[in-house]
Amino acid sequence: MFVARSIAADHRDLIHDVSFDFHGRRMATCSSDQSVKVWDKSENGDWHCTASWKTHSGSVWRVTWAHPEFGQVLASCSFDRTAAVWEEIVGESNDKLRGQSHWVKRTTLVDSRTSVTDVKFAPKHMGLMLATCSADGVVRIYEAPDVMNLSQWSLQHEISCKLSCSCISWNPSSSRAHSPMIAVGSDDNSPNILAKVQIYEYNENTRKYAKAEALMTVTDPVHDIAFAPNLGRSFHILAVATKDVRIFTLKPLRKELTSSGGLTKFEIHIVAQFDNHNSQVWRVSWNITGTVLASSGDDGCVRLWK
Amino acid sequence: MSGSKPDILWAPHHVDRFVVCDSELSLYHIDSAVSSELKAGSLRLSEETTATLLSINSDTPYMKCVAWYPKYDPECLLAVGQANGRVVLTSLGQDHNSKSKDLIGKEFVPKHARQCNTLAWNPLDSNWLAAGLDKHRADFSVLIWDISSKYAPETAVATEKVRLSAGDAEAGLVVTKPLYELGQNDACLSLCWLPRDQKLLLAGMHRNLAIFDLRNTSQKIFVNTKAVQGVTVDPYFHDRVASFYEGQVAIWDLRKFEKPVLTLTEQPKPLTKVAWCPTRTGLLATLTRDSNIIRLYDMQHTPTPIGDETEPTIIERSVQPCENYIASFAWHPTSQNRMVVVTPNRTMSDFTVFERISLAWSPVTSLMWACGRHLYECTEEGKASSLEKDIATKMRLRALSRYGLDTEQVWRNHLLAGNEDPQLKSLWYTLHYILYFIQYTEDMDQKLTGNKGPLVYAGIKSIVKSSLGKNVATLLSTVVVCLQNNALMGLVFSNCSKRLFKNTKTKYFCLCFNVKLAVISRVFIFNLNNLVSLIDFHESGDLNLNVVAMALSGYTDEKNSLWREMCSTLRLQLNNPYLCAMFAFLTSESGSYDGVL
Repeated sequence: MFVARSIAADHRDLIHDVSFDFHGRRMATCSSDQSVKVWDKSENGDWHCTASWKTHSGSVWRVTWAHPEFGQVLASCSFDRTAAVWEEIVGESNDKLRGQSHWVKRTTLVDSRTSVTDVKFAPKHMGLMLATCSADGVVRIYEAPDVMNLSQWSLQHEISCKLSCSCISWNPSSSRAHSPMIAVGSDDNSPNILAKVQIYEYNENTRKYAKAEALMTVTDPVHDIAFAPNLGRSFHILAVATKDVRIFTLKPLRKELTSSGGLTKFEIHIVAQFDNHNSQVWRVSWNITGTVLASSGDDGCVRLWK
Repeated sequence: MSGSKPDILWAPHHVDRFVVCDSELSLYHIDSAVSSELKAGSLRLSEETTATLLSINSDTPYMKCVAWYPKYDPECLLAVGQANGRVVLTSLGQDHNSKSKDLIGKEFVPKHARQCNTLAWNPLDSNWLAAGLDKHRADFSVLIWDISSKYAPETAVATEKVRLSAGDAEAGLVVTKPLYELGQNDACLSLCWLPRDQKLLLAGMHRNLAIFDLRNTSQKIFVNTKAVQGVTVDPYFHDRVASFYEGQVAIWDLRKFEKPVLTLTEQPKPLTKVAWCPTRTGLLATLTRDSNIIRLYDMQHTPTPIGDETEPTIIERSVQPCENYIASFAWHPTSQNRMVVVTPNRTMSDFTVFERISLAWSPVTSLMWACGRHLYECTEEGKASSLEKDIATKMRLRALSRYGLDTEQVWRNHLLAGNEDPQLKSLWYTLHYILYFIQYTEDMDQKLTGNKGPLVYAGIKSIVKSSLGKNVATLLSTVVVCLQNNALMGLVFSNCSKRLFKNTKTKYFCLCFNVKLAVISRVFIFNLNNLVSLIDFHESGDLNLNVVAMALSGYTDEKNSLWREMCSTLRLQLNNPYLCAMFAFLTSESGSYDGVL
């Protein structure tokens, strides 16, 4: 039985994204009022806003936490064509008493020429790395070589997807059998039958990301995409939010000896397709074990799938 | 409002009143009513709201357009434009002592009768009312009336004027002199005052959009366009204006007025209404003729600076407030994203447009989602049995209860897991007994004479599956551990101890099965050595079991003995499956255990 409680969010405009940190004790929300708010969970389960500041000069689309081993680090991306990385600094004792914390901008990533639609940190075993995608169809992967210095980020890869991108998801699997992989979804609205979900994989030999797969069955605009957390599975599960909820499994086929070091080939199956929302599905999100999927749609409903 | 289709307007200052106008004005009051029963005379608008009719005003027939008085007025003062060009002030209240009593019934008459297409009340100076009329070669089509003007007697010359309103007892109480007259020899289709300056009026004329500055009426800024219907200003960005023509909506930036900054995708059918949402930035709703869908255009961005060529992001959505075709709709002035729609046969419904919801799972298995400006947290509560809970919730609860950490009495761990999963229970008990046996054999170590090979702990399946001609020595070092139901359980081990089993000479395995809750435990004997095995009965209150005990004690190895014959025939009559199986085993040929299985 699920019970919902309202939290006074106090944003002056629409909230576009909600994101939890690794432990689930902190949360960040971002809004069209150009600000990001950070919330902390108290002992009795209440959420208190401990920081609220203006982050961009346009609507902030997404906000995401880095792994706590890198510190308290957030990244946000916005319509103003930039993405920014923020770090919490230990404030003066006055701030602490009032329960407020202070966040500073460590870097601004300005390479995009259009609205940046998503920003996601890579799994922590890849180091301090993040990817952004923009409406101009380019996915950019940045790395901070020195995890102690968050102001130095270098653009490591630029992947051109040819379609305006709306969402990205890193494959969370830390197994050595799986190379780094990122899925990109596109909300391109022009009538064509191009695949709107593309999977890019890192190739050790060429040291570049190359397209491993394109899900040809997804031809409607994609609004959100999410790999399920991998707790020891050999295959990958990907949820796609498009005109309905779709779940795909990607099973890596064994690489032939001749093409060792080449791209993995995948056997793709669609394991679920739910159109209960009867309208565009806006977001999908997996729980921590990857066993329950939550989806939200334009019918104003949030549905949980198992 | 066209033809006989009703139009609907919210009161600007009463959050719970609206007016439906077609041939008459009907004032409704909205109530929230969650219960399914309706008061007499209430109409249900939605699951939460009902509307009651407050009053009807049919004083002014031939209504073509209506505008609400912008200032607060308890009497709901309205201006009505008629088919003959007259603008009449009327009210839906009944209070005869109202402040605006002297305004009610006032008529503003143009020189030449023609249809009044649109009315717009100046939001800042509420005395100014703009009327847009059809074309007349000798007259202006945009007239600005001052509602506080004095009356002027109607001259007898104007016989062409047809008096269309009833209740006009005093002869000639009309106003004929407008404050301003604009737009000569042209038709005016739509009007809108610009909020940034009370003297600026945006008019959709026949072939162009014109901004009139009332301080200097000879000059006007205009742009040639076909999109002249339904001009409306975005309440949040005062430079942004929407207008339409046929099926196409154009969005204008008044700072850069030469051409529209955006044209939305063309609809196959002509549009009837476009309206900006007053409670949210950048949301435009459009309605096409003969349709039950309201299309929403979400322009979530800061207004692009002039000269910036990037395409603004527009999200298109459609909502369907009701089943039938919609005649008109009106946004609620304050309630977030709420609108009321009316169908051609006057059914109304109250509808809220949901914002896009973004959500996130918390690692502690609660769900957080954001809709519009609100944030909700959803947790799994209640006493769902642990089997129904998702594994993530179970893992968390068990980790919190320190599951798996009890290393002394290992079997207690299943209690920490909630004591609801029988398989988990048997697993922990198995582990417990294995550990117990390890401890036991260590104690007994000095007494053992048999082989001291490493002990293998196997379940019953592995024994049965593996070849039965197994090396006895290996078997001896195999401990068969098996659990059933309610966990009173015995261990099987080789080199049995004297305490548990009576026959000490032989090496054998035995398993205990518990049968249901009646605590009859039975020993099922695998006699792989063809030696006499032993039966152990706990707490049997059943006399028959003693009989069985007697029968079993007559066990003999000989294949053709009477015992075997009797048992093999009689066992088929036994009801208890365990007994049955036991006798089958004992009476079957060695090496063939089909009867058992």
